[in-house]
Amino acid sequence: LPTLFLSLFLQAKMSRPVQARRLEGIDKNIWVEFVKLADTYSTVNLGQGFPDFPPPDFLKQAFVRALGREDHALHQYTRAFGHPPLVKILAQFFGKLLGRELDPMTDVMVTVGAYQALFCCFQAFVDEGDEVIVIEPFFDCYETMVKMAGGTPVFVPLRPKAPNDGKLMSSADWQLDPAELASKFNKRTKAIVLNSPNNPLGKVFSRGELQLIADLCVKHDVLCISDEVYEWLVYDGKEHVRIASLQGMWDRTVIIGSAGKTFSATGWKVGWAMGPNRLLQHLRTVHQNSVYHCATAAQEAVAQGFQREFALYGKPDSYFVQLPKELQQKRDWLVQSLDAVGMKPIVPEGTYFLVADISAFKSDVPDVPNSNEPYDSRFAKWMVKNKGLAAIPLSAFCCEAHKSNYNHLIRFCFAKEEATLKAANEILQKWKQEKNSP
Amino acid sequence: TMAFRHKNTRRIEGLDSNVWVEFTKVAADPSIVNLGQGLPDISPPSYVKEELAKAAAVDKLNQYTRGFGHPSLVKALSQVYERVCGRKIDPLTDILVTVGAYGSLFSTIQALIEEGDEVIIIEPFYDCYEPMVKMAGAKPVFVPLRYKNDGSSVSSACWVLDPAELANKFNSKTKAIILNTPHNPVGKVFSREELEVIADLCIKHDTLCISDEVYEWLVYKGKKHVKIATLPGMWERTITIGSAGKTYSVTGWKLGWAIGPQNLIKHLQVVHQNTLYTCPTPLQEALAQAFWIDYKRMDDPDCYFYSLSRELESKRDRMAQLLQEAGLKPVIPDGGYFMIVDVSPLNVDVSDVDEKQPYDYKFVKWMIKSKKLSAIPLSAFCAPETKRQFEKYIRFCFIKKDSTLDAAEVILKNWNKQTA
Repeated sequence: LPTLFLSLFLQAKMSRPVQARRLEGIDKNIWVEFVKLADTYSTVNLGQGFPDFPPPDFLKQAFVRALGREDHALHQYTRAFGHPPLVKILAQFFGKLLGRELDPMTDVMVTVGAYQALFCCFQAFVDEGDEVIVIEPFFDCYETMVKMAGGTPVFVPLRPKAPNDGKLMSSADWQLDPAELASKFNKRTKAIVLNSPNNPLGKVFSRGELQLIADLCVKHDVLCISDEVYEWLVYDGKEHVRIASLQGMWDRTVIIGSAGKTFSATGWKVGWAMGPNRLLQHLRTVHQNSVYHCATAAQEAVAQGFQREFALYGKPDSYFVQLPKELQQKRDWLVQSLDAVGMKPIVPEGTYFLVADISAFKSDVPDVPNSNEPYDSRFAKWMVKNKGLAAIPLSAFCCEAHKSNYNHLIRFCFAKEEATLKAANEILQKWKQEKNSP
Repeated sequence: TMAFRHKNTRRIEGLDSNVWVEFTKVAADPSIVNLGQGLPDISPPSYVKEELAKAAAVDKLNQYTRGFGHPSLVKALSQVYERVCGRKIDPLTDILVTVGAYGSLFSTIQALIEEGDEVIIIEPFYDCYEPMVKMAGAKPVFVPLRYKNDGSSVSSACWVLDPAELANKFNSKTKAIILNTPHNPVGKVFSREELEVIADLCIKHDTLCISDEVYEWLVYKGKKHVKIATLPGMWERTITIGSAGKTYSVTGWKLGWAIGPQNLIKHLQVVHQNTLYTCPTPLQEALAQAFWIDYKRMDDPDCYFYSLSRELESKRDRMAQLLQEAGLKPVIPDGGYFMIVDVSPLNVDVSDVDEKQPYDYKFVKWMIKSKKLSAIPLSAFCAPETKRQFEKYIRFCFIKKDSTLDAAEVILKNWNKQTA
């Protein structure tokens, strides 16, 4: 009889899946699929968001200098919550921008990319039963990270307003409906995730729009997780407003930044979270129980990069002035290329992404009735396989229920060398000619 | 209301303190001879540093690479470990590259452990195992290594598990056992027979094995590192964890890996893509190149995997001698770069160190202050119930350059003179 019980117990264990329930519904990942496709088929990759030009010389030199030092301390562990020179300059730099004194030891934490800072926020603050408001379209990990933390993502869409006659749509034309936004807040709402400048649309939330969000956060005592990785990439003289600087917001906001996006070095995976100690202390707890330390040498180099930028702030030589200038030009080229062939670009106010309407090219990719896959995803896959041009479908940035809402929009990354953008233009031109020829 | 709403989640309740955060701060004073944290002050091999400098100069390597591991690195890892394990390892499906072995432990536990599960942890244990299991909502179940006096000199081999006691810890809720060999802090290298006892129980109870083998190359004369995943019936239920930091003396690179069967690794990959997505590129490329250099000479005694352990063996022996001359009985480790020692013969009165902490915590704080020598208290590696058993022990790290050990020698030689 004991053996019978033992084998019953074993059967019960074996019939349960080996993986934890927290992985339910979060195993699919658009990047794994689309990065593979781009690697296999693309000749021009405007898909995944990374520059195909190098980081600035001063940063590369800082890294080489850090590695060449006589003492090899930079090859060993540094302070777990952030390499002292880096947290010090971040506190100094952003303290100035926010108009407040930041303590480098308690108000700043370095993470493995902004991605890990986001993870720490959700793990630190989202419990089962908590709701988190996510503005659509959204960087896809927000949804899966909320779910992994046992929370419920609540989506509120940016809705496009028809542009004035003859003008191209701008990312500014995509807006939240204030009443709709307010209706998403309730007593279960733990946090709202804000991403400005917004990936994928490129929207730069105005002060007024941020005030709307801030008022609701204060009214409902909700945290704000503010993903500002594209903070330097704003165009046409627009201003990146930091929501933490609005009244009542510092105490309830975690600001997230990225060296990868700031210094065009996505492969370094250095990010940070900033906020009041009362919030950061819990990020530290998650961090010390998950990765504990971040790699040392890159932190040293990023610190030196920021020291240079602190000295040059606002001056023409500042990388934070030059990079957006260069990228604005590239944005304008891509806008022109797409517009010329009939793909309708939504001109982004910020980031290095641009979303375009591909309706004019729909005839190339026939509709498949009863297909599970959203049209834009099938279109993007067809395009990379047949035209060698990689882009990401907008449905990747929408929740399951809304994936078909914008099934004619795809996202391009324009942080690319001139040659790459020219090659993209050629593909588009050839494609258009093929469509027009009988 | 504000304080309540912004409280931390249940999963991290009580996990905020951390022995390292406490002791690295205290020992950061450069006038202190730091034998505490497991931090090499010897140089990594020059070719390892050179490979990183080379990688940093390649533009493409400053951007994102493959999320689950840079292709050249997972390829190199699969080759090295195919040789060691004697079985085929698919670089894309059987390996995940993580931020240090720490990241592999986290990914494994988050992927496979949840509320309702029990996880067996052998004491003393690397301190993060307990909070990581708790953060996953599971219950840690402790089983201690016990000192068995067989008359020979005190070696880490004298610390053993009681097979009956171990078997008693397994039940239908036991999801996994965490094994650490070579063992931190004791330095024990589990023998094949000891691993078979564990393996038999894993198979009998359908339990997973999380095998932390970061010190796998640091095994001293007469001992052999055996991978539990190579025992019959174990590959399909074992995740084996390794570390670049420990392999190449580059703890600041924070690169590690988890190797196992696809049906387990795929879940670690899901965790990874939802936590940090990808690890730094230039470091992975440099590590891959370093691995190729050593893979090609794995038959050669000059291979760093073997030369490092020879270098450390003499440091181990020196450290042991210094402690013995100071009147102590260190536990001679068979592997790893730590050595534990019972300090009760020194009879130091620490009652004026005004804290409700175990003896060894107070002793180490006193020793840092008055002797300018740091170590780590062993009770940091124990559950509350066992702290009493180990509170007379402290842990020294000996992966230190000669001048550091010279400075430690001076302190230890003068110790008796001052207290006499």
